[in-house]
Amino acid sequence: MTAPALTQRTVADRAPRPAATGGGWRRDLTGWAFAAPFVILFGVFLAIPILVSFALSFTSFNQRDLVNPIGTSFVGLDNYGRLLSDAKFWKSLVNTFYFVGVGVPLTLAIGLLIASALSRGITKFRTAFRVGYYLPVITSIVAIAVVWRFLLNPDIGLINVALGSIGIQGPDWLASKTLAMPSIIAMAVWRNLGFAMVVFIAGLQAIPVSLYEAASIDGAGRWSAFRYVTLPMLRPTILFMLVITTIGYLQLFEEPFVMTDGGPLDATLSVTMYMYQQGFEFFKQGYASAIAYVLFVIVAVIAFLQFRFLRSEDA
Amino acid sequence: MRLASRATFLIVAFALTFSLSACGTNQGSGAPAGSTAPVTGGSTAPGGSTGGSSPAANLSGEITVWAMGNEGTKLKTIADAFTKANPNVKVNITPVDWGQAVTKLQTAIAGGTTPDVSQMGTDMMAQFGANGTFDPVPADIDPSQFFQTAWNTNLVDGKAAGVPWYVETRLLYYRKDIAEKAGITAPPATWDDLKAMAKAMKEKGGSKWGISLGTKNWQEYVPFLWSNGGDIADASGKPALNSQQAVEALTYYESFFQDGLTPKSVPEGFDITPAFVKGDNPMFFSGPWHLGLIKDAGGAGFESKWAIAPMPKKVTATSFLGGSNMVVFSASKNKEAAWAFVKFTADPTTQALWYKTVTDLPAVQAAWSDPDVASDPNVKMFGDQLKDTKAQPVSGSWSEVSSAINDTLEKMTTGGLAPQAAADEMQQQAESIGLN
Repeated sequence: MTAPALTQRTVADRAPRPAATGGGWRRDLTGWAFAAPFVILFGVFLAIPILVSFALSFTSFNQRDLVNPIGTSFVGLDNYGRLLSDAKFWKSLVNTFYFVGVGVPLTLAIGLLIASALSRGITKFRTAFRVGYYLPVITSIVAIAVVWRFLLNPDIGLINVALGSIGIQGPDWLASKTLAMPSIIAMAVWRNLGFAMVVFIAGLQAIPVSLYEAASIDGAGRWSAFRYVTLPMLRPTILFMLVITTIGYLQLFEEPFVMTDGGPLDATLSVTMYMYQQGFEFFKQGYASAIAYVLFVIVAVIAFLQFRFLRSEDA
Repeated sequence: MRLASRATFLIVAFALTFSLSACGTNQGSGAPAGSTAPVTGGSTAPGGSTGGSSPAANLSGEITVWAMGNEGTKLKTIADAFTKANPNVKVNITPVDWGQAVTKLQTAIAGGTTPDVSQMGTDMMAQFGANGTFDPVPADIDPSQFFQTAWNTNLVDGKAAGVPWYVETRLLYYRKDIAEKAGITAPPATWDDLKAMAKAMKEKGGSKWGISLGTKNWQEYVPFLWSNGGDIADASGKPALNSQQAVEALTYYESFFQDGLTPKSVPEGFDITPAFVKGDNPMFFSGPWHLGLIKDAGGAGFESKWAIAPMPKKVTATSFLGGSNMVVFSASKNKEAAWAFVKFTADPTTQALWYKTVTDLPAVQAAWSDPDVASDPNVKMFGDQLKDTKAQPVSGSWSEVSSAINDTLEKMTTGGLAPQAAADEMQQQAESIGLN
């Protein structure tokens, strides 16, 4: 039995395409003209800065070089070497991995849970729920962080007031070395699970109902249907969400920037925040560029590994 | 499947690219890199301008002046007085938000679009004045008319690159009524007095805390270092943050946290003013802007309950000096008018006018004999303290060194790091960053 969705795609793939013959250079030119806005924007605002910052990472470019940027000194791999022995950088790296390691699974798991509930179980107020979960995604992160800062306020925050009403003395969440990062993770998960939910709902709806019917005829219960039908069918969606969320979370910046400024005692200092500090507070653009490229390599390697492992089981 | 995965990969590649470009887009939201200039509290009565006496050379043309924060919005008072004396010069004022000052200056310097004149925080001189960005100060400006420490903040590589505009320093604010309840009638003269007073206020005065000291603020720590005879850097400019004096100062500073006399953490958005009025934190060190803030927050009948006092003495009673200078950029096309304007701001009459406009304390000593400045005894106390002040070293890497000092202070005040170890760590950090 073939799933209709698959059949449709196969048909779409085989649809006749316009023949690419004739036209010659004039045709190419038209193509480029249409692509030009993107190519120019991409070049000026992305490609060139990316290349320049790569070059910068081998220099000691700082404030003094502003007057004469070309006069900066080339230092080879010094910046990268210094990073290796920079305890604060390592601390920020550990923090970032902590955030990703806990935050990504939580976001995906809760997102999938809510998506399942909203696409099968809950029928009343479905739209209201979807909107509710998705709203944080489209709200300004700074506004959210400010509101959460109030929620987490030790004396007048809603969370501690609620805890207080049942007789628990709530901690000073953001000022505690152990609780600051979990607080930030909680906020990030809450903010991002709406996006995961929407993507998962789309993925779930693409799974043909007939598969579930077949499964139930074979005697599968709810859990078995989830385990043997939903999860395998969702694999591409999960992979996509995993990669996207990991990349996003590795760049943790706004949340600690607004809520904790990296504190207390650097407990929430992320790699991107450290890079920002070096690059824009101390204006050590060379060093900051090196940090950016190390982060880039880390992101690339992790994304590659995720593809590798999750796709290898693909038949 | 192949096609689909390629599409996914493209998305990932795009996201990767985005991750990099995101690095470059956050310039605008930056906090000021350790700018010491405070928010001045409210303005006082508009100045009954007396106009400045300035050399009526035949100046003409236009000059652009950048000024930050409150100063930027009120500078028109000075500009108007200047134009009155020099009718042919047009002064364009650009107010700059403190939060964006650093970025704006960087952009202007890199792009060659600097103004003629700009206000410059005393801690920003070396950062921006390197490589001759600022025009050297003309010889006819007499350094001795300013407070010595304020003048020294302008010495970039030993040469004067700017002129002091206004200054601020830190004094002790304390609750007189709570002190009296605790049996203390005089302000603390020594370090021991201060400690005993904090203790008495907490134990006998009924306050929640004895004092409020910053857990990670070098500006609150260094006055103790200086008062103990130490300094941030030695005579040759090398860091001296783990001297015997420094360890003693850190030990003293830390003892307030150790003994539970000052909070180890304050909630986000904590404001000392209401806590002081309420009586929770009956002492703290701050600058002149708190005079107005407390007056406003305390309301009627509160005036008699608080007072200010000079830094308590150890070897000396040295406080921190901050404030702003005025610089002329080398790239200015109208240096003559630009310097005339800067000289005008340093004129004692203008300085007094400026005090009346925004309550910025005059950097020119002669301005302190103006009846309007000297009449308020609290302000006069700041004037007296200004004679015993020091400032951070003029160093391009100061913002980074001070940030490292803050980090280590936090480890000591809240993380249990011993004072000796904290001093060593500060020294090691400062040496590896370098005070150039």
